[in-house]
Amino acid sequence: MTDYHVLYKRHLSYWLRQLRRNADLIGPLRSLEGDIIFSSIENIHEIELDCPASIPSPKEFIFPQKEEMYRFSDKGVAILSNSRKRIIFGVRSCDISSIALLDRFYGGLYEDNFYVNRRKNTVFISIACNNPDPTCFCLGLGTGPFLDAGFDIQLTDIGDRYLVQVGSCEGNNSIKGLKHIFMRPQKTDYDEQYEANLSSQSRFEKRITLDNVRQKMLEGRVDDSFWESVALRCFECGGCVYECPLCTCFNVVDWKESEDRGVRMRIWDTCMFKGFTKMAGNVLPAGKKILRTKRWYFHKLLYYPEQFGKFGCVGCGRCTITCPGRIDMATIANKLD
Amino acid sequence: MAGLASAFGSGAMTNSISEISDARVVFVIGSNTTEQHPMIGMHMLDAVDKGATLIVADPRRTQIAKFAQIHLSHKSGTDVALLNGIMNVIINEGLVDIPFVKRRTENFDEFEKIVKEYSPGVAEKITGVPASEIKRVARIYAAEKRSMLFYSMGITQHITGVDNVRSCANLVMLTAHIGQPMSGLNPLRGQNNVQGACDMGALPDVFSGYQRVSDPKARRKFGHAWGKKLPAGAGMTMIEMFDAARAGGIKAMYIMGENPVISDPDTSRLIEAVNKLDFLVVQDIFMSDTAELADVVLPAVTFAEKDGTFTNTERRVQKIRKIIRPLYGALPDWKIISELSKRLGYDMQYRGPHEIMEEIALLTPSYGGILHHRLDRFGLQWPCPDINHEGTPFLHRKKFAKGLGTFNPVEFIPPAENVDEEYPFILTTGRLYFRYHTGTMCKRTSTLEREEPECFVEINPKDADKLGIKTRSRVKVRSRRGEITVNTLVTDKTPEGIVFIPFHFREAAVNLITNPAVDPVAKIPEFKVCAVSIAPVMQNPGERQKSCYDRKNDIKALLELYEEPKA
Repeated sequence: MTDYHVLYKRHLSYWLRQLRRNADLIGPLRSLEGDIIFSSIENIHEIELDCPASIPSPKEFIFPQKEEMYRFSDKGVAILSNSRKRIIFGVRSCDISSIALLDRFYGGLYEDNFYVNRRKNTVFISIACNNPDPTCFCLGLGTGPFLDAGFDIQLTDIGDRYLVQVGSCEGNNSIKGLKHIFMRPQKTDYDEQYEANLSSQSRFEKRITLDNVRQKMLEGRVDDSFWESVALRCFECGGCVYECPLCTCFNVVDWKESEDRGVRMRIWDTCMFKGFTKMAGNVLPAGKKILRTKRWYFHKLLYYPEQFGKFGCVGCGRCTITCPGRIDMATIANKLD
Repeated sequence: MAGLASAFGSGAMTNSISEISDARVVFVIGSNTTEQHPMIGMHMLDAVDKGATLIVADPRRTQIAKFAQIHLSHKSGTDVALLNGIMNVIINEGLVDIPFVKRRTENFDEFEKIVKEYSPGVAEKITGVPASEIKRVARIYAAEKRSMLFYSMGITQHITGVDNVRSCANLVMLTAHIGQPMSGLNPLRGQNNVQGACDMGALPDVFSGYQRVSDPKARRKFGHAWGKKLPAGAGMTMIEMFDAARAGGIKAMYIMGENPVISDPDTSRLIEAVNKLDFLVVQDIFMSDTAELADVVLPAVTFAEKDGTFTNTERRVQKIRKIIRPLYGALPDWKIISELSKRLGYDMQYRGPHEIMEEIALLTPSYGGILHHRLDRFGLQWPCPDINHEGTPFLHRKKFAKGLGTFNPVEFIPPAENVDEEYPFILTTGRLYFRYHTGTMCKRTSTLEREEPECFVEINPKDADKLGIKTRSRVKVRSRRGEITVNTLVTDKTPEGIVFIPFHFREAAVNLITNPAVDPVAKIPEFKVCAVSIAPVMQNPGERQKSCYDRKNDIKALLELYEEPKA
């Protein structure tokens, strides 16, 4: 079920102001140095929509880098939870696709209360990408630039107005009672969206083909010397994992605040570090870099499809942007294919 | 720094980081770049991808060395011989840039006399690098116009540290690889603001901007600005200060953001010196090992809690901004110093770091145009003499900071300690990717701590076989000053005859055994070379550590636990 509406751009700030009454509004901002970050919006006019991909990805709002889980003291333990309502505006299609997969991981396969709690209080308003970055390759993975389903609300920029697609109940609640700004679309609006989609697809600089990757990996037709060449360029910074909107690993640590109380929290972790799989006695099963890089790509390109029927990559290009050794997911996938 | 200053007149990276990727030859000596300066390593790999030739001179086969077309694995402490050998080839094969040497440098003849003696054959004998390789490197480096030379602690942490730097400077001048983009001599500074600290005169003999204390004009200028008469003599270096403290010449000390108990050589002598002090103040963001010994600890704030600037390795002054309020009542460093100064009877009246920056601009020619409001986006690279200046991406364009560049003839001096029968291995120290210095900060981060939890000694498989040890055997590493016990890591990264120990760990502080011999000019200790012996700690299979309790008492204690409490 998808409802279509039209919202004039001049009404956007009015709408966002309405939304902000009941929830925190979060959107992309440009920092003084030019970085794009998702952050709480003070001034609606500061929202930056014509910008490259944000780093880090908006996954940090439902799976924070550092999440406090329990507080403990000599009196007992308290479970912490966060039930603030949030609206995240200006998310890209690739990130929406990644959240759909995270939902299946943390909400289906394992029910993670901390995740589910944050997720059910968060509404995503995405904007279809008319202008993909040079590092983007979502087209080949079917995770963008325009989505057909899986979003709460998707906006498409068609000149002086947005075509608004509502895809969920939460999305519907966000436009409830605002009939005066959400108007019925004309036939030409649909055509214009279709054209925008085509023109966006033609602008991709990077293409990715993955038809044979799984078969090749499965049959062991990828030589180790290939992974050796990838691992050689790895600086072990872990940036690819931290920035990946689909990576879900965390570590649990206790922080003692004083003698009689402390907090247990989970923090993002990365399988690119050799200590990630460390066993007793400091034995490192993945002590060599090649094993770790290989495992990451196997997880993304082979195990993910086996488990969820979709590749563990949404083509956002963040790992490529971050990597100091210039290891590029798209190039590797194409070479494998 | 002293080496560079005597050759060019200023000590810093001569070129910019953004130029690296367009260089045609990248020559790295004594730097583990991809691990210790990953962002610069990234640009170097970009250059390699674009077809540049990468030459790495390092005894260890580091990650950057794996990308190198030529890896010179010379013996630790023989850098001067290696560089002299290279320069010998350049002179003999007519690769010298004669117009440049004639017009812009001095003292070439003296220098030539010395270098003539280091034929590739002689250099081969000293360094262990084949003469043919030395010739090849010389030709590649000299023939290409866009050649950049990089060095780091592997060059400076020797008793001949200044000589090593001078040799690098000689090489650069000989081939005129300076004063233009994509060339130059580039020392890589590891800490965010170590360049800034040097620029601001945190050295014993200069004011800010390397204006000499011995220069009466500079003294008058600063004296006037501060309203005090300033002493003319140079101060002491850190190593000299601790020596003086041990001798009783220094009674009180104020240490800021340093942890010399772990980072300086010959730890036990250092602790002895600290204990002799009447009064020790340590200012740090965490309770460091040195702070444990202090009479007063002044809590300082971290980068996130203060405004100000950092100057990075390419001379770029960058603004930092406060994003959280200082925790637990800690104060920014400038505030602590101002307050202290006020109580000592000299009222410093700064209302914020921007006012201090104004004073720096007023008194320091190279920082003349660097003010906070100009630094918002990308900062500025000094020299930036006035408010309209855009900063300088590369130095020494038309002339050197001191006028003519000086060739300093440098003879090879072997390291202070050599291997002998009793101490057959050369120990070299260095850093690890997941550790920063003495761990004052990174030890508090669970992930980083997990990655490298304990000290180890890297040893070549062939040496390991001879000693009958495997990875994770326990060995005693002994030098003339002491011994430590560590686990081994057998790897071919480290060549035969050399062992490597990271210096980050307090549990096995390698600086208990390193050599406190220092460079005569810069007083930098020789961390990179010291002679050691290695002996496995014997442990029979199945042997366990003896329990500290005897059995009888153990059972008794157990029984007590289960006893009913008496009513």
